[in-house]
Amino acid sequence: MKALISVIALLVASAPKTLLRGAVLSVLTLLMGIALLGLSGWFITATAMAGIAGIGIAFDVFRPSAGVRFLALGRTAARYGERVLTHDATLRALAALRVMLLRRQAQQGAKVLASLRSEAVLTRIVSDVDALDGLLLRLLLPGIAAVLTHLAVFLALAWLVTWSLATAVLLGYVPLALIILYCLARRTQSPSAELELQQQSLRRALIDTIRHRHSLILSAGLAEREAELLALDAQTRHSAQALDRQERGAGLLLSLLVAGVSVLALFFGERLVNAGGTGPALAAIGVFVALALAEALPPLRRGFADFGRMYGAAQRIAGGAARSAETALKAPSHVLNSALLELEVSSTTWRLEAGDSLAITGSSGSGKTSLMLQIAGLLDSEGITVLGRPPQQWPDSELRRIVCMVPQRSALIAGTIRENLQLAQDASDEALWAALQVVALDQVIAERGGLDARLGEGGAGLSGGQARRLALARAILKRPQLLLLDEPSEGLDAETADRVLRGIRAALPDTAIVANLHRFVDHPIFERHLAL
Amino acid sequence: MSSYLGIASALSLIAGLMWPLQAAAVAWVVAAWVEGSSEHSAVALLVFAAAALLRAVLDYCAGGYLFKAADITITRERSALIQREARARSAHSSAEIAALMVQKLPLLQPWITRYYIAMVRVAVIPLVLAALCFWLSWVAALILLIAGPLIPVFMVLVGMAAESASRKQMDEIGSMNAMLMERLSAMLDIRLLGAVDRALGDFSERAEGLRLKTMAVLRIAFLSSAVLELFSAIGVAMLAVFVGFTLLGAINFGTWGNTLGLAEGLFILLIAPEFFQPLRDLAAAWHDRAAGLSVASELEDLDAAERVAFVGSGNAAQPLEGPLSIDLAAAVAALPGKALALPDLALSAGQSLALMGPSGAGKSTTLACIAGLLPLKEGRLMVCGQALSDSNADAWRARIALIPQTPQFPDQSLAEWLDPEGRGLDPWPALRMAEAEAVVTGLADALQTRLGESGGGVSGGEARRLMIARAILSGRELIIADEPTADLDPESAAAVIRALLRLQEQGHSLLVATHDPALAAAMDRAIEVAP
Repeated sequence: MKALISVIALLVASAPKTLLRGAVLSVLTLLMGIALLGLSGWFITATAMAGIAGIGIAFDVFRPSAGVRFLALGRTAARYGERVLTHDATLRALAALRVMLLRRQAQQGAKVLASLRSEAVLTRIVSDVDALDGLLLRLLLPGIAAVLTHLAVFLALAWLVTWSLATAVLLGYVPLALIILYCLARRTQSPSAELELQQQSLRRALIDTIRHRHSLILSAGLAEREAELLALDAQTRHSAQALDRQERGAGLLLSLLVAGVSVLALFFGERLVNAGGTGPALAAIGVFVALALAEALPPLRRGFADFGRMYGAAQRIAGGAARSAETALKAPSHVLNSALLELEVSSTTWRLEAGDSLAITGSSGSGKTSLMLQIAGLLDSEGITVLGRPPQQWPDSELRRIVCMVPQRSALIAGTIRENLQLAQDASDEALWAALQVVALDQVIAERGGLDARLGEGGAGLSGGQARRLALARAILKRPQLLLLDEPSEGLDAETADRVLRGIRAALPDTAIVANLHRFVDHPIFERHLAL
Repeated sequence: MSSYLGIASALSLIAGLMWPLQAAAVAWVVAAWVEGSSEHSAVALLVFAAAALLRAVLDYCAGGYLFKAADITITRERSALIQREARARSAHSSAEIAALMVQKLPLLQPWITRYYIAMVRVAVIPLVLAALCFWLSWVAALILLIAGPLIPVFMVLVGMAAESASRKQMDEIGSMNAMLMERLSAMLDIRLLGAVDRALGDFSERAEGLRLKTMAVLRIAFLSSAVLELFSAIGVAMLAVFVGFTLLGAINFGTWGNTLGLAEGLFILLIAPEFFQPLRDLAAAWHDRAAGLSVASELEDLDAAERVAFVGSGNAAQPLEGPLSIDLAAAVAALPGKALALPDLALSAGQSLALMGPSGAGKSTTLACIAGLLPLKEGRLMVCGQALSDSNADAWRARIALIPQTPQFPDQSLAEWLDPEGRGLDPWPALRMAEAEAVVTGLADALQTRLGESGGGVSGGEARRLMIARAILSGRELIIADEPTADLDPESAAAVIRALLRLQEQGHSLLVATHDPALAAAMDRAIEVAP
């Protein structure tokens, strides 16, 4: 629940004023609709009584009919305003939710960050965010509007008709509707969670099947796998059916509730009329208002049926305590007399100062990449200090100014070459071209249309080796004090690799460079070698 | 499915026609108050309650049938997707197919359960209610027909606007999500570059731009649904005023000569909102229609996509008899949408052969054709002395073990994966032979480890050696390996080559596609594949 409340707080905070105005207008829309039917019912009953009494001429028809027209127009205007404002607020909230999500993910450790490349993890996150998109528009706003409308109707009925009728309508609707919706929310929680899990496994199993199709055909396992997938599909539909049955059941109860309250209003109205204290016209208002109040309920049914899904999504997206490393750690005031990087590996200490360079070698699986991620502060470590402090004790933003790492599989984004290069900071065109020249990519980019040439999703349009060099150029532009390169020569031919390595050294003479390598281990720019 | 839809439509229409009954009961009770004769109102209340109960139950049941109808459609499409994609691949990525099947197919449901039934109701209920009004007063019916001007015209108006609005909104969310996914997948780089704040600022800015553009469209789109609201509100208001004036005696026409009583007047007032309700429901369900249609068009695209089926049926079969041999001559492979010429090659039992050549030349395609995973368009492929065909492909494949280029670990334990047919074999000798023993003992749960999608926990070379162990364990004679040493450091590559050679010593035949001169040199022969 805490997670859900924190998401709600975030969504509300993203556009409080718009949301408030939207909420006011939704209440107004509902109230005007109810008043329109109530006033019309009163008007017809009163005119009939005047007609029967033969005092039709004396009856003031203008104020009520003007009221009816005003409510008809007012309701339309309010509804229009409500839709515009609430959609505006929702769009703002959508953006806020995604920014919050990005920020939270950005604070995670290397393992989580690397998992974000997995398509399954990404789809899951996006599907969770989608579930939460409905929180404002389908749950919160209609809920608040329904409650406020009922209170306003209660006061109006008490003032116009009697307290007893007003109380009967309020107590008839509110507690029972709350119970029905509460039960709906509770009962959809476990089928929602099951459905979510089943959909994930169906998805994974289908992707597995398609990707491993060849192996399945060779091992004659295709038919069996198809049967498994169909069984998984049957499970998801079973859960979906359970959800649907719950929602329809709640719908059934809610429409019975409307009928029950209307009967109650008719019954009370009749007693009031028979008692003689209240005229039939006023008593009719109670009946019409009770019928019209039903309009506040259906939107809630859909919202509450999705509650289970929203709840689960909120748990996954906002659950657990956020790591607020920034607040806990202050940048040290003095970092004198400490080496830029100190590494203790199998009881040998390696010290690196500005301009030094170190090549790390070792067979795959020996932990080269992990060591690099530890230096970059994305994995917990022992025996590593950057300017005298363990990396994970640095505030993230300070550490990034000192250390920059280019991972083995770099990600580019859709957009221009310029946007990709300027991901970290602005730079002049000269600086951008200079960086491209360092990594021997200037000609390629010039041929493709310069800095404003566009790349597709995930940097599509460049070969593996070109993408790699663009990522290197991006790091060079940062001019870090310590540059960590994970397999910088991967995917490059010998000549280009040599040019790129020399270029980086020459472009960043004062930077300490650490590189993981399995080729070009003896390249002259590396003064020292560490074998893991 | 159509019978379910028919039942659901009938139930839903009967439910909709309960309302006039309820309205009549209410009107009768209130009119009796004015006349001071309320002794029979208990009966009216009972009628009202009974009709309400019936209506609620009918709606509930109709919903159930609609769900079933939608469910049948979704099941049919899903099983078609599952079977088709596993049997004959199209060019769509596995992620696209999965998204279509898991996330998008369920969008067909509201299309059927909400939009379809709204269409049925809108065609019947307003007309019935207008007819009832007409019976009491032609003016009242006229007001309804004017306020809901020629329903089809109305629907077109609303439909166009609502459609553009809902499409716009779906686009907006779609592009925002695409942006989100991309930023998330680049998050490691963004963090390491110290560009988190900058990237978030950029994201917010773009989201803001999208919002402004979307709102401009929505403002206009909402106007047209406001027209619908306006007509319905004005309709109710005009009816109330007309009925009121008639009751006062200020209006004396429009009621077939009889005077309109209070009960009739209230009845007209009560059914007026229900006259407009189906229209409003339809407008609200337009979003579901748009979503359903876009899924349907994706399904159609997939139907129309070019596919190539494999040779044979993929069922278990006894291994093909006779000494192992392959003879491929003048062959052309049939790929989705194109054809690719293959090199001539021959391989006999116990031999090893490397296919060399630049990427894109057709090395992997050749391997797939030899295993019967892709059909030939022309040319000759003889295996064990027979031409490869649908009738013997399964038997031929029972003699082949395949080591694919990218390490692939499905979501199952290592033990299950190594022994897919569950023959209860001891995996350790095979792991030892493939130099993969230490890989398994190094994993936290050893043979019970689930390596999952990305093969997390093992490096590229380790994954390759595990795949070789699996091939050894399968006991099959011909080992086909696609780039078994790609992206490996020299030591790991050497281990892979040693393991492959050990297999040949034991009598296996090897067919590998590779760039690696060291691996090619270790084979008996190498063939250059020209692009």
